[in-house]
Amino acid sequence: MISKVDLRGLICPEPVLRTKKLLDDPGVERVEALVDDDVCVNNLRRLSNTFKATTDVHQHDGFFEVVIDRAARGSSTASELTTAPSVRSAGDVAAGAGTTTVVFLAKDTFGDGDPELSRTLVNLFLQTALEAGHQPRAILMANAGVKLMAPDSPVLKVLEDFRQHGCEVLACGLCLEFYGLKEKVPKEQITNMFAICEYLFAADKVLQP
Amino acid sequence: MSTGKNDKSHKLTAKIKAAGCAAKISAGELSQIVRALSSPPCPQLLTGIDNFEDAAVYKLTDELAIVETVDFFPPVVDDPFLYGRIAAVNALSDIYAMGARPILALNVFSFPTCDYPIDVAQEILRGGAEAVSEAGATLGGGHSIQGPEPLYGLAVTGLVHPARILTNSGARAGDLLVLSKPIGTGVGLLALKAELLPDAPRQALLDNLTVLNNRCLQIALPHAIHAATDVTGFGLIGHLHEMAEASRLQVSLFAERVPLLPDTYQLAEQGFVPAGAYANRKAYESSVCFINEVETALADLLFDPQTAGGLLFALAPPEATELAGELRQAGIQASVVGEFTPGQPGLVEVIADDK
Repeated sequence: MISKVDLRGLICPEPVLRTKKLLDDPGVERVEALVDDDVCVNNLRRLSNTFKATTDVHQHDGFFEVVIDRAARGSSTASELTTAPSVRSAGDVAAGAGTTTVVFLAKDTFGDGDPELSRTLVNLFLQTALEAGHQPRAILMANAGVKLMAPDSPVLKVLEDFRQHGCEVLACGLCLEFYGLKEKVPKEQITNMFAICEYLFAADKVLQP
Repeated sequence: MSTGKNDKSHKLTAKIKAAGCAAKISAGELSQIVRALSSPPCPQLLTGIDNFEDAAVYKLTDELAIVETVDFFPPVVDDPFLYGRIAAVNALSDIYAMGARPILALNVFSFPTCDYPIDVAQEILRGGAEAVSEAGATLGGGHSIQGPEPLYGLAVTGLVHPARILTNSGARAGDLLVLSKPIGTGVGLLALKAELLPDAPRQALLDNLTVLNNRCLQIALPHAIHAATDVTGFGLIGHLHEMAEASRLQVSLFAERVPLLPDTYQLAEQGFVPAGAYANRKAYESSVCFINEVETALADLLFDPQTAGGLLFALAPPEATELAGELRQAGIQASVVGEFTPGQPGLVEVIADDK
């Protein structure tokens, strides 16, 4: 059975409460709910997880449609990742199940050949990885690698694209300071050796091109 | 404590969008607003808005300072007496968080007399008066206006010795953090509104909201406290960030050691998460680093805006465990939940047990 509900205009917790009541009925396989804001969307996403259902969110003009589907479970870990807001939270970091890969860039080059070629190759590497759909848990930059975060760096765009896909893009604060870049990098992308260490040791696979 | 005799439910909370301290202006917006404020320096003002202190402290003599605070919010529960009591407990808490003793309170009250019977207003004020008198302070009057929704709280004056003020900023590296109340009131109040709380968790929530922080402070004061605050609208992580930033230290929060109100974990898991928790997450995400996997529901609770929350103390390790023990012996659910470290000032590192 499919349940369609319009929950717009209701005050929290009404939207999540009404959706919970619908899902409490095992006969309801799919709920299509219209809600006002992203607080409701996030609440319904959490609710859906406890029912082991999938969540798809479609943004319309001034409202959202949240589709909670119990039947489609198993096929949509990827869609969950792409719809997850790029919020730096434990839950979202954990959303990428399977092997966790971390990319560690300790220099601003790909290998040690001609400097100009080596810098072009870093960009090419990141572009190709992104286009191939690889989703590392984090891209970490240290030592000369932090130069990739400079305002005129050609890889800034691809790094931002990775961030939009839920990947943490972080640079060592000490290194940024050393290269005089600390003020030029967003605060939320500055990290320390402790966090870098934790990411590297927690990863199943670390790539250092 | 007496309970409200007004059993006719006027559904005080029915039209209220944000409950309690969740009704606060978000930290991000607030800092934008107050950035434009500047007042000439005043040597008597011992605290300012710079360090996000809980109250303002004004030095009268070398032995005496007054502590001033004001706090009010829309209804958090339907029972008007309990609403009044909770709002007053919450306002008085800022005085305790500065290590002071409240002496005088004034009511701050907005009420739509056309929408509710007058005895609802009486009950709200009676609930507030009960908390003021229990705190040993005097209610000296107040100010009331007609408004579109009820708002209630207090302006409170307290006294403290200028040398004994507790602020956000004195924590030292190696200090442990003692938290004196469980968290989860934002999630709990949302579930209460949804009528999803069974009797026992409901009672635990209301007890948590209505108990004054005065006994807790009395037990804590003989110890060498380096810094203190109370946990309210910015959630545990937000207030920890402010303490860490003011103390120029990093802080580790041991996620699994933070006591939670009963049922709030399951409710947060199911999406009963107030808008204020998402706003806090957004405001503080750049100041938080999650180590290991912290479940989303637990992270939501660490960001959950608290109403009438507990006190947070920073003390040297032996003193901290001693204080937590003394508080627990007095029936206060206190725990050691974190540690200050050198490192990145203001950074809150949330550490979960390795699974």
